This record gives sequence, structure tokens and C-alpha cells, in this order.
Amino acid sequence: MLSSAQTPRLLRSPAALTFKCLHTSPILTPASTSPSPSQILTNRKALLSRQTSAVDLAKSFLQRLRRHEPQISSFLYVSPDDIVLKQAEELDNRIKNNEEVGPLAGVLVGVKDNICTRDMPSTAGSRILENYRPPFDATAVRKLREMGAIIIGKTNLDEFGMGSTTEGSAYQVTANPWDLSRVPGGSSGGSAAAVSARQCTVALGSDTGGSVRQPASFCGVVGLKPTYGRVSRYGLVAYASSLDVIGCFGSSVADAGLLLNSISGFDNFDATSSKQEVPDYASQFVPLDYLESKPLKGLRVGVIHETLGNGVDSEVVSSVRSAISHLEELGCTVSEVSLPSFSLGLPAYYILASSESSSNLSRYDGVRYGNQVFGEELKSLYGDSRAEGLGSEVKMRILMGTYALSAGYYDAYYKRAQQVRTIIRNSFKDALDKNDILISPAAPSVAYKIGEKKNDPLAMYSGDIMTVNVNLAGLPALVLPCGYDGGSAGMPVGIQMIGAAFDEEKLLKIGHIFEQTLEGYSFIPPLVADE
Amino acid sequence: MCSRAIMLLRANPQLFSFRSSAFPKAFQLKKRFYAAKCSLEPPDVPSLAEKARISLTPKQVEEFAPKIRQVVNWFGQLQAVDLQSIEPALRADTEGDNLRDDVPQVFDNRDAIIAAVPNYEDSYIKVPKVLNKE
Repeated sequence: MLSSAQTPRLLRSPAALTFKCLHTSPILTPASTSPSPSQILTNRKALLSRQTSAVDLAKSFLQRLRRHEPQISSFLYVSPDDIVLKQAEELDNRIKNNEEVGPLAGVLVGVKDNICTRDMPSTAGSRILENYRPPFDATAVRKLREMGAIIIGKTNLDEFGMGSTTEGSAYQVTANPWDLSRVPGGSSGGSAAAVSARQCTVALGSDTGGSVRQPASFCGVVGLKPTYGRVSRYGLVAYASSLDVIGCFGSSVADAGLLLNSISGFDNFDATSSKQEVPDYASQFVPLDYLESKPLKGLRVGVIHETLGNGVDSEVVSSVRSAISHLEELGCTVSEVSLPSFSLGLPAYYILASSESSSNLSRYDGVRYGNQVFGEELKSLYGDSRAEGLGSEVKMRILMGTYALSAGYYDAYYKRAQQVRTIIRNSFKDALDKNDILISPAAPSVAYKIGEKKNDPLAMYSGDIMTVNVNLAGLPALVLPCGYDGGSAGMPVGIQMIGAAFDEEKLLKIGHIFEQTLEGYSFIPPLVADE
Repeated sequence: MCSRAIMLLRANPQLFSFRSSAFPKAFQLKKRFYAAKCSLEPPDVPSLAEKARISLTPKQVEEFAPKIRQVVNWFGQLQAVDLQSIEPALRADTEGDNLRDDVPQVFDNRDAIIAAVPNYEDSYIKVPKVLNKE
């Protein structure tokens, strides 16, 4: 179950599992409808024992990708078959020769298109970077490659990460694999949809205000936002530099954690990256047989009061409440926590994000890269290149940011937003001193219909209420599917678990146990399950 | 702008529904305070577009202006919050500065950088003339 290099951390006296949500089979099996604890490890075992080849694995993913792409459109660029298969073949040769292979050997990964990949276009979902090929790999991408992963393609996103539905892409709309008339969420909608539809095993996304967590919730997959500074931002197209992080998608908590393991760490090229040691996240994924009957006994869980009231769909509330009961069954002590400044986070976030983006996006001027509209004089080269290359939402946020940073307005907006950031950071810290993790829904509703939020910016922004505060505080958070909207929609609902800074280990441990003991849910979209 | 902002706040209860009874007095909107302090000019979209170097058509100005004004009004709710003696946070500050030594390193793929330039001639990046307009 775990890779050959790791040994499970056993609890002192593995007693018989007594709580009702587990089968009492003597064989190492989780609840029958739970996902495989790790697709990465299952495939790895099959590869190393020669039950399958990396080439066959890659072929099956490519076939599934192409089968579903016409309906989902999660990829902006798919790596040509021959390139993917050549990498798979090289891996097969190394296995045949009993050579060492990396922990992500043969794993097919999707990469959000705002993360630079040297040999593939990186457009950030924008026309201004159409066909742009970066001269370098992002550090996270370089690390993936070093670990043996195969990048299957670049996934769709809201332009420059600005949006919550992926409808803001300049190229195509991605559909939610659970219901093709609905959005996958955003801005990392392509990555979430690709993992949900099993077009790749795991995917990278980015999270500035919830852009990994909300699409994970909408698409019924696991989304992990690391602590700010845990993963290098070098090669991530900057949207809001004080908030951006690269995050992980997987179909299980273990897979998201294994991906995080590979991309974390200090990087000389990112002055905001942390020198804190990276623990071995893989060691959190203990097989269920080794757990005590109340494996989460003693863990203090704080439910954020302000997130389960008015304005949140009743189905979301009831799914989250069931999840809370499940956590109690596992031994957690659950209490309610109030964060009175919670609602201030949303306007503070949008002020900070649009201000920082107005500065970060000033480099897209058509001069050194990207699409250029040549003008009579320099100002019109800038003005027209940007007018033609940038989409409406991006333009609006740049203009709002320009306003908030103008002389005379800086104190009223940007500085005040930074002060609100201090308040929010401190309130989370206080709550996390008294609790191991905090809980909230990942979003106030299930996935919207395509087109529903298009013309109303405030309606779209209000959907981010659950996620933005975590970015302001720089904390890690894990979203995993916990139930469905039981009404006509039948869409997945995600629960968000928030941890203290650099405490991803705890989140992954709790998330893994929660997931593996959750009976009755398989979270595979019908599109894929019917195959 | 001020009275419109308050109407916006009243008209969008779902956005502010998290102002539950647990919300202490310090953070509640002080409407009179807000109205008195509200002296910021609303956004002048053509002027902002000029600053941000984005050419907008009059039709686009007409389309963007009300949306931008609506969002900026919504930003205005922070005016009413008592933030005295709160230090502004530059970022999450999960860790201090990790600066490297100021030693230049040569990038190994300069050719690719130059290949990406739309208009490159004889080792110059070509741009049109700069006109200084008053």
C-alpha cells in the first residue's frame, strides 16, 4: 500500500476496529465504496511488479482524455502522444533494468496553464500570451519531472486566475464532469475537471482566493492549498503576489499529499518560499487496519459559526453537518468557533488582489513577449496590445486596482485592506491555538449553471466568502468531498479543513482517515463511472 | 456615491448575512460615520484606463463604469471599520524574509527569451516612437 521506501507509522495497540462505519473484514480493506487510498501508489505497485507497463497506463489515460474532451474541454493543450509515450517507454526500460525510479514515476499530471512549462505553450488563459512558450519550467514543474511524472497537458483556467467559474478563459468553457451544463468552478476549473473525469491522476492548480478549493468542491475531488511559502511560486504567472500559491488536485487525499510532497521546499528563485523543513507527507497515510477504533481521539475541531448560516445552501449545510458527525464518530471533539471579522475578508481580498494584479499585469505590454498590436507611438502600442489581448474581467480588475492604489486613495483602500488582513490573520491564529483544525463548507453552494454569474461581478465574488480569508492568513487548507446536494442537482459538496501554518501533515492525516471511513460515497462522476 | 453605497448594502443582505449577532459593535457599520467620511471621488474610468495603459472604446467605458463603480462602492464598507492602531500586514508573513545574496547568475536560455520578442532587430527590441503629449 505504501511505497517500498516507507514504513507505516503504527499506533501502539492496533485494537479491533469497532465503530460501525467500517467493514470487519480481516483483509486490509476500507469501506467498499471509498476510493482507492491512492491511485498513485496502486499504479506504482502495478508498474514495479510488471503487472502493467507505463506505456499501457499512459495510453489508457490518453484514450480517456480524448474520449471526454469534446464534452468537458478541460485542456488548452495536450502533449502529443509520441512525446508522452516516449517518456513512458523510457520509464519501462528503467524498470526492466531494475533501476531506481522516482516517487511519481509514470504518473500522468495536468498542469494549470498559468504555470510555466518550457516545452508547451503557457497562456494563463489569455490571448495576450497566445502561443507563448516560456524559456524555463516553473520550479514545481521541474520537481515533478525530476520525480518521474509525465505532464499530459495544460489545463484551462479563468484568465490570469481571475474568476470563479473558468468561463473567464479567453479560449473555451470547461464543463463540470458531473453535469455538463454546470461550471467546474474556478479559476483552476480545468485541473479539477480533468482529475474528476480521470483524464489524469493528479493536477497542479493555483489558489489566490480559493481557486483550487472551490473547483475541488464543485467537481467532487480533493483540493489542497498549502501554506503560503510552502511551494515555490517561481514560474507561476503572478496574479496577487502576497496571496498566490500553487496547489494540488487528486482523486484522494493521499494522492494530493503525495503530489505536495514532490513540489514543496525552499527555492532560491522565490524569496517568499519557506526554509522550513518539508516533512514526509506520505507517512500520514496509514492503512486503516493499523488504526485504533477512535483514530482521531483528542483532536479539537472548530466549526466556524459564520459559515453555516444565512446565505449558504441548506443542502451544503446538511452535508457539512453530517461530515461533522462523522468526525465526532472518529473521536474528534467538535465545538463552534466565532470569527466576527470573517465577512470583512471578502472586500479586503478583492481590494488587495485587484491592486496587486494591476501592478503584476503591467508587464503584459506587447513589447518583450506575447501578442503585439503595433502602433504609431509607444502609448498606443501598450494601449492597443492590452486592449486586444486582455479580457473584460481582467481589464476591470486592473482598473479597480489602479483606482485603489492611486494617490489619495491608497490609505482608504489598500492600506485598510492590509489592516483587515492583520485582524483576520490574528483571529485565525487565536482560533487555531484552541483547535487543531477549523471547518467550513468550501463554497456556499454547489456548482452554478454555465452563464449564471457571468454579468454580475458581486454575485460571483460573494461565492468566494468561504475561501478568501485562508489566503489572507496564508494558512493551509484541504477540501474533500463529503456529500451531495440531495436535490435535483445531485452535485458534490466539499468540506474545507483549515490548519495552522505549515501544519499540512495534520490536515492530510485527518482528511485521509475521514475519506477512507466515509461509507456510501464514491465521488466518481457518472460520465466516467459508466465506462 | 455615499447614499448609493448604503442602498447597495441594504439591498444585498445575502452578502452581509455573516454579520451575525456574534459581530461585535466595533465592526458594525456606523452609517453616520461613513457618510461624514465619504469624500472620495468615484472612479473616472477613462482616466484610470489612461493610467493603466488600456485603450477602451466609449462603448466599453459605458459597459465597465457602472460595474466598477458598484464594486468600488462595495469596497467602501471598509471605511466604517475601526482600524486604529492595527498594523497593516504586507503579506501573511508565515515566515520572515529569505533573501539570497545579491550575486548575479547567468540564465541558461537567453536565446529563447530573445526568440519571444515580437519585434527584434539587430540586438534591439523595436518599439514605436515615444510621443510626449501634454
